[in-house]
Amino acid sequence: MAGTQHSPEPERPARPAAAGKFEPHDTAGHLARIKGWHHEFETSLDSLVSYLQDLSKRSQQAQVECSRNFSRIADLSRAKTRFTYEVSHEIKAPLAAVYNILNVIIEGYLKDDREKQFDLLTRARYRVREVIALLNDLLMLSLLEESTGKLKKEPLDMKAILVPVYEDMKEYAAEREVRFAWQWGDELPALFGNPELLRRVFMNLVDNAVKYTDPGGAVEVEARKDGDTFLFRVADTGIGIPEDELPRVFDIFFRGSRARSESKAEGMGLGLSLVKRIVDDHRGTITVSSEFGVGTTITVRFLEHKKGGAGGEASTHSGR
Amino acid sequence: MAKRVLIVDDDPEFVETTKIILEANGYKTQVANNGGEALARLEKEKPDIILLDVMMRTVGDGVWVSQKLRSDDRLRGVPILMITAVNKESDTRSFRLDPNSDGDFLPVDGFLEKPVEPDVLLREVARLIKQ
Repeated sequence: MAGTQHSPEPERPARPAAAGKFEPHDTAGHLARIKGWHHEFETSLDSLVSYLQDLSKRSQQAQVECSRNFSRIADLSRAKTRFTYEVSHEIKAPLAAVYNILNVIIEGYLKDDREKQFDLLTRARYRVREVIALLNDLLMLSLLEESTGKLKKEPLDMKAILVPVYEDMKEYAAEREVRFAWQWGDELPALFGNPELLRRVFMNLVDNAVKYTDPGGAVEVEARKDGDTFLFRVADTGIGIPEDELPRVFDIFFRGSRARSESKAEGMGLGLSLVKRIVDDHRGTITVSSEFGVGTTITVRFLEHKKGGAGGEASTHSGR
Repeated sequence: MAKRVLIVDDDPEFVETTKIILEANGYKTQVANNGGEALARLEKEKPDIILLDVMMRTVGDGVWVSQKLRSDDRLRGVPILMITAVNKESDTRSFRLDPNSDGDFLPVDGFLEKPVEPDVLLREVARLIKQ
């Protein structure tokens, strides 16, 4: 076969005999000429065949690609249906619980039991808060999806962002009887970002760590400069994530099997997927390592915001 | 003798209010917070009816439990009243999409949507037990 690539101008063999003049009795000349044509014909045929083979291979590849895209779209569409279903469930369930509580009280089932009434109403208030928190998460999620890279960002003093997180979480850990240590680096690099969103990232990571660690366990947080990045690491001795579930931790609504079976651990699994989106939006990185039953370590890194001549103007955003 | 209702649901407030309503109307209630607990309870005693949440976040959803119960001879004749927080239409459609479900109609005797009005709950429970 004459090569696999089609070339539109196959090399022509030199034509024997003078092309200009026709000699009727020059048999040898005719023969040579016919041989030449034959050779030319064969060469062209070869490249035509290889061209057709190439074309058919490409069309097969296109077909494979096409069906792959199709099944990806079908997957997305299924995921969307599933998402709508789960969101509806997560909103309707607490509202139904609140409705039931109000019903039981209004219809006089608890008559004079003021204490029980108070208990149920307190729980109703909690469930309403749960719905509001979920709706806030959903709004944030759609905001992030809609405006990737367009959120308002500014130079940030990390200490100012992290100290409130530290104080809140220290209290929460004490409540849960989880040992809590926070190591501050000598200096914290400035970041360029959205303060609200980044606070959410740090809060969510530490909150998760404390929530999924049993009393007596420990949570260690590290916040420091590392090269030209800001490093934030949360390590816990919590329930851990089984290896096969690790790739899905950032999926929307994903909650580990162990987290799901702890009915007391509230939340519905939007947290980490939100965190991931916010980190992506800030061009940071997030890595999770975990051992089931031993603990989880999550590391987030953001590029340091260099205080250039622009004095913290948006123009110093590295754009990397 | 008081009829016994097994409530299988992982929503503590739903369980609590349902208990209040049923007990005020002369039923005895038992609670299981997940599918596994329900099956363990059913090993020991047979209720007159089972109220089952479709989508529990804990071990085994309601569809799995209902299929499990229906394949158990000892529980033949115990009605299952499925209760869902979404709606019947999307539940059945949704579980048909789920490769783990066989896509058949849910093997239950009744189906209610949360929130359940107390009188609707009482009427449905009484109807299914009588059947």
